Amino acid sequence: MTRGAELIRAGWRRHEVRLLAVLVAEWLVFYYCGTSVNRHGVVVGFGTLERQGDILRHSCEIGLLALVLTPVILTAGIDLSVGSLLGLCAVVFGQLWHDAGLSVGAAAALTLVAGALAGGLNAGLIAGLRLPPLIVTLGTYSLFRGLAEALTRGAVTYTDFPAGFLALGQDRALGLPVQAWAFLAVAAAVWVLVHRTMTGRAFRVIGFSPEGARYAGLPVRRTLALAYVLAGVVAALAALIYTARIGQAKADAGTGYELSAIAAVVLGGTSIFGGRGSVTGTLLGVAAIAVLQNGLATIPVVIRLNAAGEIAGLLTGALLLGALSAEAAAKVLSQLRRRRQSAPGPNPVAP
Amino acid sequence: MSPVPLLAFEAIEKSFGAVRALRGVSFELRAGEVHALLGENGAGKSTLIKVATGAHAPDAGTLVVAGERLARLDPAAAKAHGIACIYQQPALFPDLTVAENLALRLEPAGGWRRVRWGERRRRAEALLRQAGAHVPPDREVRELSMPEQQLVEMAGALGAGARIVLMDEPTASLTQPEQERLFAAVRALKASGVGIIYISHRLDEIFALADRVTVLRDGATVGSRTAAELDEPDLIRLMVGREVDRLYPPPAAPAGEVVLDVRGLGCAAAGVHDVSFTVHAGEVFALAGLVGAGRTELARVLFGLTPADAGEVRLQGERVALGSPRAAMAAGLAYVPEDRRRHGVVPELPVAQNLTLAAHRAIFPGGWLRAGPEQRCAAELIARLDIRPAEPAAPVTSLSGGNQQKVALGRWLATNPRVLILDEPTQGVDVGAKGEIHRRIRELAAGGLAVILISSDLPEVLGMGDRIGVMRGGTLREILTGGTPAPAVMAAALGRAGKGAA
Repeated sequence: MTRGAELIRAGWRRHEVRLLAVLVAEWLVFYYCGTSVNRHGVVVGFGTLERQGDILRHSCEIGLLALVLTPVILTAGIDLSVGSLLGLCAVVFGQLWHDAGLSVGAAAALTLVAGALAGGLNAGLIAGLRLPPLIVTLGTYSLFRGLAEALTRGAVTYTDFPAGFLALGQDRALGLPVQAWAFLAVAAAVWVLVHRTMTGRAFRVIGFSPEGARYAGLPVRRTLALAYVLAGVVAALAALIYTARIGQAKADAGTGYELSAIAAVVLGGTSIFGGRGSVTGTLLGVAAIAVLQNGLATIPVVIRLNAAGEIAGLLTGALLLGALSAEAAAKVLSQLRRRRQSAPGPNPVAP
Repeated sequence: MSPVPLLAFEAIEKSFGAVRALRGVSFELRAGEVHALLGENGAGKSTLIKVATGAHAPDAGTLVVAGERLARLDPAAAKAHGIACIYQQPALFPDLTVAENLALRLEPAGGWRRVRWGERRRRAEALLRQAGAHVPPDREVRELSMPEQQLVEMAGALGAGARIVLMDEPTASLTQPEQERLFAAVRALKASGVGIIYISHRLDEIFALADRVTVLRDGATVGSRTAAELDEPDLIRLMVGREVDRLYPPPAAPAGEVVLDVRGLGCAAAGVHDVSFTVHAGEVFALAGLVGAGRTELARVLFGLTPADAGEVRLQGERVALGSPRAAMAAGLAYVPEDRRRHGVVPELPVAQNLTLAAHRAIFPGGWLRAGPEQRCAAELIARLDIRPAEPAAPVTSLSGGNQQKVALGRWLATNPRVLILDEPTQGVDVGAKGEIHRRIRELAAGGLAVILISSDLPEVLGMGDRIGVMRGGTLREILTGGTPAPAVMAAALGRAGKGAA
């Protein structure tokens, strides 16, 4: 085999490379099916730069949640409360600015603090009292959303934010949507944390073996707490971006986002059982889902059916299950092959 | 000549990888006898039980059940031949009643069968009476005491028509009156013609209950005797039997200053109390004792995994608080735990990452991962401990047991500890790697380290220990000098005044 072919084979074994191939395939399909020229001779649809910017703009909030869920899931944990927390933080921000009369900057800073405190509640229950993350965050999932609705009495919506704030969600800077820069900054920070620090390695060790981490003298509680507090802070940041993009803060902001974010993380190759996964994978997972959902809305037949949302949900589910099944099937096949090869011999491992 | 034995083992052999657990076990169980099976930890008793219940297929040898030669036995066949086993921890469903538990054992499975509650109750009552248990059949099992649960197990065995009952340390967690009731039930069983194989570490039980005794040593039968012709020193001698026959590296230099000074250490949660001892630089302090004597528990207290609630620990004269593994690490302690795969290494991580996991503060200043220092540290430890394959990127799962143990050890050497606690470092390791690990331990001690070596392998304790601490019932009972003969150490571990046995 040539060196080039070897490289390709080795690369193909990486989940990220295969996911990248899926992403490129998606993009090409939508480019050819979703781009057209209208009556006025103008190119419209998927293939326009504007549309690509929109995809980026719309995937920032779920993308942020997926980024900070990656460390959480690496520790074999889960955080179902981030979507609700996004709603709560949006409402808190609206009240601080509108009702308390704070400046936008001060309100935003305090909203981030609120996110940290809410994440701290999860952290205290999970790392401190050692309650199971699924149950704790199922509880705070209801609690945060309920609190958001109580604060607004289910009816109040905050609007009329100053243009300077709305720019965060609606303008462009250096050719990209403004919030995309925030997203990229968080992505870089989370990547460095997970892949270049001892804390990142501790996430994995805890995910593989919490007892093993304790026996190695790693700060298990502190590391777990950090993952959940970080999720809270970034959920608050996502709430600010959401509010700026929509132009209004209301209690139902971010409903269901936690599940889309978890889907992106898992599609990105992070094991729900902890230990394995990468931030790059999560980014590709977010992109694969975002391109699929936005691209569908540009295909003429889908537009005619007026069912982009429904078909997107269906295909996202199929993509996730297909990716997981393909990985599992490949593993089973390679095991079968290995067993067949080593069948006549005794135990392959020499003492 | 006696009639056909109920069960005969003929030259049974069984290996797990490189470890030969059974190397030719032969003995006979007769109807209506209690046959005690004795041996040190790791002599092969539990493996033999598993062969008899069909859980393990023997590599060689035959089982003869009531005259019928069986090449192999699976659990269903064992049950059909009337073989039943009662474990130390009864395997009952705690939320079901006694009668329901018995029904699960005895009634054939089938989703659509009618449940006859009256019949269930009556049968349970009859069986419980036969087993000598005064337990109402409609009581939930979780409300029963441990011996009552064992009697329910026994009733189940009787109901299944068991002719051969294996009991694996049934009294390990029982109080004196509870034991008496169990003994009465065993005697009643015996009187009804059932043959019982009885495993226990408690010699007084053997003499109270057993008709004959078979001693296992290193996976082979030493011999079967009638209990009446033996006394305690005889038994201990049979169990230990040999001189330290393997070659152990000699101590290099006389021990130096006191490094670790433990005074009155205790932890109620761990079941450890009032432990006092010292360990010197360059010394190997071996901790002997039976399984459950509290050795691992003591190590966990020292390492801060279950922090102490009494006593004090001094390291080189300085009092230290060992409230967490990190505190213990900072004080200069290192602990290579017994359960290698769960605690000693992270099997999914590469060798290099495992080796730098404990010493990460020194290797990665500020918490920033750096490939250069990690590779250097890993390469040095791989060379120093001769870890094979010398492949820092290979996951630890791909290594053999002995090499995984070296990784677990290497991780702690990287922290430059002053006290090294090794918990069963050669368990599940083949003979070659064992000798190598022994040499490493000696080298480390010679380098000035204070080593605490926990081992259930008596020759290892005798061969490696400069002094030998003997634990029993959660506390350190005796500290013996290095040259103490094996029977005396065994006697101390068993709690017998058997020092004259040698």
